[in-house]
Amino acid sequence: MFKYNFLLTFRNFRRFKSTFFINLIGLSTGLACTLLIYLWVNDELKFDKFHEKGDRIFQVMENREMEGTVKTTGQTQDFLAQVLAEEMPEIELATVVTPPNFFPSFTLLVAEKQVKGVGKFVDKNFLNIFSYPLISGNDNTAMTNINDIVISESLAKSLFKTVDNCIGKSVEWQIMDLTKLVTIKGVFKDLPDNSSEKFDFLLTFDAFKDLMGIKNADMNWNNSAPFLTYVLVKAKTDIGQLNSKVADFIRLKSKNDQHRTLFLKQYSDNYLYGNYKNGIEAGGRIEYVNLFSIIAIFILLIACINFMNLSTANASRRIMEVGIKKVFGAERKTLIWQYFGESLLMALLSLLLALVLVILLLPKFSEITNKHLELLFDARFTLTCAVMVFLTALLAGSYPAIYLSGFSPIMLLKRQFNSSLGELWSRKGLVIFQFTISVIFIVSVLVVYKQIEYVQNKNLGFDKDNVLYFETDGKVIGNAETFISEVKNIPGVVNASSMLGNIISTEVGGGMPGKVKWKGKEIMMANSAVNYDLLELLGIEMKEGRTFSRLFALDKNKVIYNEAAIEMFGLADPVGKIVDGQEILGVVKNFHYQSFHELIKPYSFRLEPQAGTNILVKIRKGEEQKTIGELQKLYQSYNPGLVFNYKFLDQDFQAQYVAEKRVALLSRYFAALAIIISCLGLFGLASFTIEKRTKEIAIRKVSGSSNWEIVLLLTGDFAKMVLISILIALPVSYFLVSRWLEGFAYGIELSWFYFIGAGFIALITALLTVGLQTIKAAKINPAQSLASE
Amino acid sequence: MIKTQNLTKIFQTDEIETSALNEVNFNVEKGEFVAIMGPSGCGKSTLLNIVGLLDNPTSGSYLFNGVDVSNLRESQRTGLRKGNIGFVFQSFNLIDELNVFENVEMPLIYLKMSASERKARVEAILERMKISHRRKHFPRQLSGGQQQRVAIARAVAANPGLILADEPTGNLDSKNGLEVMNLLTELNREGTTIVMVTHSLHDADFAHRIVNLFDGQIITEVKKQMSEVII
Repeated sequence: MFKYNFLLTFRNFRRFKSTFFINLIGLSTGLACTLLIYLWVNDELKFDKFHEKGDRIFQVMENREMEGTVKTTGQTQDFLAQVLAEEMPEIELATVVTPPNFFPSFTLLVAEKQVKGVGKFVDKNFLNIFSYPLISGNDNTAMTNINDIVISESLAKSLFKTVDNCIGKSVEWQIMDLTKLVTIKGVFKDLPDNSSEKFDFLLTFDAFKDLMGIKNADMNWNNSAPFLTYVLVKAKTDIGQLNSKVADFIRLKSKNDQHRTLFLKQYSDNYLYGNYKNGIEAGGRIEYVNLFSIIAIFILLIACINFMNLSTANASRRIMEVGIKKVFGAERKTLIWQYFGESLLMALLSLLLALVLVILLLPKFSEITNKHLELLFDARFTLTCAVMVFLTALLAGSYPAIYLSGFSPIMLLKRQFNSSLGELWSRKGLVIFQFTISVIFIVSVLVVYKQIEYVQNKNLGFDKDNVLYFETDGKVIGNAETFISEVKNIPGVVNASSMLGNIISTEVGGGMPGKVKWKGKEIMMANSAVNYDLLELLGIEMKEGRTFSRLFALDKNKVIYNEAAIEMFGLADPVGKIVDGQEILGVVKNFHYQSFHELIKPYSFRLEPQAGTNILVKIRKGEEQKTIGELQKLYQSYNPGLVFNYKFLDQDFQAQYVAEKRVALLSRYFAALAIIISCLGLFGLASFTIEKRTKEIAIRKVSGSSNWEIVLLLTGDFAKMVLISILIALPVSYFLVSRWLEGFAYGIELSWFYFIGAGFIALITALLTVGLQTIKAAKINPAQSLASE
Repeated sequence: MIKTQNLTKIFQTDEIETSALNEVNFNVEKGEFVAIMGPSGCGKSTLLNIVGLLDNPTSGSYLFNGVDVSNLRESQRTGLRKGNIGFVFQSFNLIDELNVFENVEMPLIYLKMSASERKARVEAILERMKISHRRKHFPRQLSGGQQQRVAIARAVAANPGLILADEPTGNLDSKNGLEVMNLLTELNREGTTIVMVTHSLHDADFAHRIVNLFDGQIITEVKKQMSEVII
């Protein structure tokens, strides 16, 4: 039976080649898309899941009620870990960690060798909670002494060219003007790609406290601090109960602070569910995971619809086969299995082609998603493929199988096989569904593209172009002013200055959070400690007052605010007024120091030339290469052997929209695919319809219809379907893109153009798809068609 | 073998009710060769379909080999049809995607016969139908007469006791038509019961009995003497 069915399937494929290829191309492209998205989604879902005790690791989060809203943060006090571990019996271990980007990169020195690396300060429990296995050294003793360090195998190789015999060796680390000699106590395996934590070495938190002068007795529960606290709870702990216990922890400790609530969040959820809105989890990266999973399902669905439509349309061509089989004893279930087997075989062939496509497209896809994706034929992937093939076959083949096998042998033998109204509508309905999805994709592509264009071209309120920056490290630290003067002397340099941190940040926006007291309230506000000339270098415009000047020695005690800050203070004539003990020197026009997702918030500049951690240089356009070469020479004259790592401000700006750009690019590909697959289906359906209506066309022509009227008649039906799709898609797409744009504080206005344009694209593509065939059909000699009938 | 009593079949469309068979009492004995004749639309094919268990009557009873089969479900009819009834059609109804051998083999597959047994059975039948040399050919590569011989081979492959032939020579020239009728006669002589619908008096002459239908009713039944039957 199997051989017989296989043979019949194979010969049917051969006989109806165009249907076969339309199905093969559609299904394989759909499957390839789904597999690529699966690889990406799988990688995203695996993030931070490699920790052996992962199900018991939680981050302590804090909800802070401020001005009617709740801000959720992972930033906690440095002593929280220790106190929680002491007072909560459910907690087995707790650790405190300095947050990412708390420090710019460190410089590590071994003899003459200098290497830059990312480090963080952690307490001794860190390695017992998280799974960063040591290649050499001991988890329990590696971080016990204040001057211990554990380094990654890559860093070990960079410093010593080997990972062997590193234990006990001394390394000097340097950051800004701080240096310390530490001893290597362990070498850990390089972090896996799916680790959201990125660091090259770990230092002890005791060393951090020592540097910062933090004493164990300093436990002020009213303060907020930027440290991260992680806990390992004991097995079988009821997290709900523990959460209700920790909720009031700070409130009880601080006695007077009623606005801070703690809660525990599964550590591995942080990566995907990182966003909070008013204290409630509001997605994060998971939204893109979901979005692309839905896109994958829809693309596969569109391909399956082609299969369903073409198979049922094709049924009339196979009516005899079914009828004869039924007459000679084929039971319905046998036929269902045969047609299901046919779609299974089709799905299997499509999978093979899809795998080839995935192999070919994976490098480009990895580049777009900024991941190192690999196609590993492990048990999980094989099972996924098997499930995907089975589901595709079931989805694509179930309807044709049930439909084809459902006719009575009499009907089949008498050829009383007319498409029922329901069947016709379901076929049309499926085409309408396909085009609805395609139009939604097209609208989304247009809107995302225009929004990205808007973001790229809108005036930020400062000039990010041709500004590069690098860290003040090595000998530059102590000689920043001299270094900046020398930079200014380089031909091609327009201006140079320095600041603490950066003007743009992908994490929290530019500046550092600071408190300003105003009318009895403490207001959190981003502020930047800057050097002279920085505002001029960045082209930030003054609205009132003046900028910092070397001519006025007292400028160091004054402050410059942006318009948003002045508005918040409600000051009418701000220059010269005193806010929180500091005189307002000037007011700058609002500028976008955060991404366009955020409204421009209050911001302040203070003059602190020595605080600069980054040197910013504005280069004349067209002289970048030469000037960077000169800068490198100057930098290395201060720091021989140290790599001159610089970045352009524009890179930071672009980094704010990485996710959006990825969506823009991928949605362009997926929209194109959706419409191509839909058109393939439409092409197949049009061929079939024309074949069925050959006699009608001939009779109409004999009765006096012109070729053009025939073309209109045939394309009219398809045009109607696409028009209905457009009507359905427009409100849906309006809703979807409006929601997406809501995520931006500054965005494009939704104009009718996007919707009408998308509909027009879909309609023209569909008409082109069926047009050629209808013209060909209309030109056929009616005598020929009638004779063959 | 076949015994119908007051067999009635009414086709109902949206507004029209058509009575295709009206209280037909039709009996066929084992080993008989019966021809059903009548003008188009008189109910010949409807009767053949019900007799062949392809359809159920609206009312009346039908005993097939003594078993009442008038109200069987589709799956039950399929089960009973398998191996018991063979069909020969006017337009041959061979499956285009299967070659001669595979077409003949098809009913045996549904009987779940082993591959070796199927092979032996099909080879023998093809030999007998003198079509063995065309075993690898596809229907479109055969003449009408050859195609009908394949169809007969397929009908007898499962050794059914009853063959129902619906205008078996309708699409054939006289020479091929005669060949087909000779084959059916030969099968009948070997014990197979044959019920044939035909418009052709010449073909009907091969039968033992001719039943004339008109407007869904049997109006005459002519039993021929053996000497009158074309042999």
